[in-house]
Amino acid sequence: MNDQEKPDTSRRGFVQLLAGGAVAATAASALGSLAPAGGAESTAKQSRIQYGMLIDTRRCIGCHSCSVACKAEFDVPLGVNKSWVEYTEKGTFPNVNRHFLPRLCNHCSEPQCVAVCPTGATYKRPQDGIVVVDSGLCIGCKYCIQACPYDARFLNPVTNFADKCDFCIHRVSKGLLPSCVNSCIGGARIFGDVNDPESEISRQIAANAVTVLRPGKGTEPNVYYIEADITEQAENSDGSYRVRVTTHRSIKERR
Amino acid sequence: MHELNWGLPVILYLFLAGLGAGAVTVSGSVLLRKGGFHDSRMDIARYGALIGPIPVMLGTFLIVFELGQPFRALNLFKMINLSPMSIGTWALALFIILSGLYAICFIPRQATWPWLGKARRVLAWLCVPLGISVAIYTGVLLGAMPARPFWNSPILAGLFVLSALSTGTAAIMLTVALFGEKSAEHREGRENDQYLLVSSDALLLGGEMLVIFLFLMFAHLTIGDVRHAVEVILPGGSLASLFWWGVVLIGILFPFVMELFQVVPKLLYGRTFRSSLVLEVAVALSVLAGGFALRYIIVVAGQVTGPTTL
Repeated sequence: MNDQEKPDTSRRGFVQLLAGGAVAATAASALGSLAPAGGAESTAKQSRIQYGMLIDTRRCIGCHSCSVACKAEFDVPLGVNKSWVEYTEKGTFPNVNRHFLPRLCNHCSEPQCVAVCPTGATYKRPQDGIVVVDSGLCIGCKYCIQACPYDARFLNPVTNFADKCDFCIHRVSKGLLPSCVNSCIGGARIFGDVNDPESEISRQIAANAVTVLRPGKGTEPNVYYIEADITEQAENSDGSYRVRVTTHRSIKERR
Repeated sequence: MHELNWGLPVILYLFLAGLGAGAVTVSGSVLLRKGGFHDSRMDIARYGALIGPIPVMLGTFLIVFELGQPFRALNLFKMINLSPMSIGTWALALFIILSGLYAICFIPRQATWPWLGKARRVLAWLCVPLGISVAIYTGVLLGAMPARPFWNSPILAGLFVLSALSTGTAAIMLTVALFGEKSAEHREGRENDQYLLVSSDALLLGGEMLVIFLFLMFAHLTIGDVRHAVEVILPGGSLASLFWWGVVLIGILFPFVMELFQVVPKLLYGRTFRSSLVLEVAVALSVLAGGFALRYIIVVAGQVTGPTTL
């Protein structure tokens, strides 16, 4: 019953309908060919599609082609980002290194933005687990922006709606990959259904040591990382930096 | 620097809605306890009822226009869910309507018609719980987010209620001091009123002190996110001077000491309470200033701090 925060929408009714017994099996197979082979035994929740992403930071070269592709795809206004790459520089010369951390909405299984939304404008799509913003209902109160532990949301300065990554729903629904995945020159991003054990992403998650960001917040993110460097900016009291984080956003510090 | 998504309109709303809801709650409680009270207590109920709805409406106006497209706020009334903002919106809308009616019932000084007195009492029964809801939901709203360690505490809602009641009391105190009946034969009633207001406010400020002490104490004793977040108001932090001078000294300690100075002779030694216009105005203004500083500090501090590890 992870959905209890938002009980009264018609969408929720749809989820509950889906979750109910025999309907679930039929609906799950009807919803997508990506449904797991062992769908009959698995529970209704597991048999639903949950899109996710696996980012192999070893393959990321910090070129920002994902950030640019995302900007171009959605015409994202200046100063805000749906997808971005953070740099973490560590050490003192000559023992130095730089790690790249591509960021986007985590499309959490327990999204706090959904729990706090007063109008039901933000919701998790039952058919594919993508967290979206319904701009017809959003009032621009910015509560979800405060509640997101990943700073993945922003107020779109043009429309005044809350905005964020939606896994390129318009592309994915036509069988294409999200724009950032499509444009990644290092092949660092794998996109797919994390609930399907046969999918490429599920096999790679099983085969590698993966992490999610801020697991302690209980959000159950669906964006996984291989070798993510989560070191934070160190206090720079003595003048010689050991760690420096560059977010490449107008928000210079990580939330 | 972190982005401040909630700025001055939101801070002012938290302050004004708390003040107004507090004033109406105090007014309603006094009216409903009228049985054992001096008749002049009607002044407290009347002034609280008359001034309360105005700041609430003003604050609501500010946050609705803060949205950019104000008519979009109507989407809030298309549904109700468990988001504190959704529940708060409905409580606020009901409160504005009912406290408005409650205020209208107090426009004639005397309840000339018997139904008017009854209407006042019925509306007071409704406005007291609604006023507390309006005062408390903002604290629950901010406290509900693990992504904001400074806010993510159940005691924040308690602090907001105490601050709302105390600023509401101060607003009534100020109104009674400035506009209350000043004629000689009314003097005793007025002093009784001010004694009740001043002693209640001292109690509320004492409660605020306790809550702030607990807030700082627990934050200081822990480690990690909460400790890191609360450091912005501890000595050396970027908001420390406003917090210690504005909230603690001007907003709480100064009025608390002044109120004790006025109340203690009667409370402990049974001497006559001497109402002092200058003192009451000064105390009320400093409580109001401190209430605003408190909302400012909390809204800003919550947004400039975050979890410490990714």
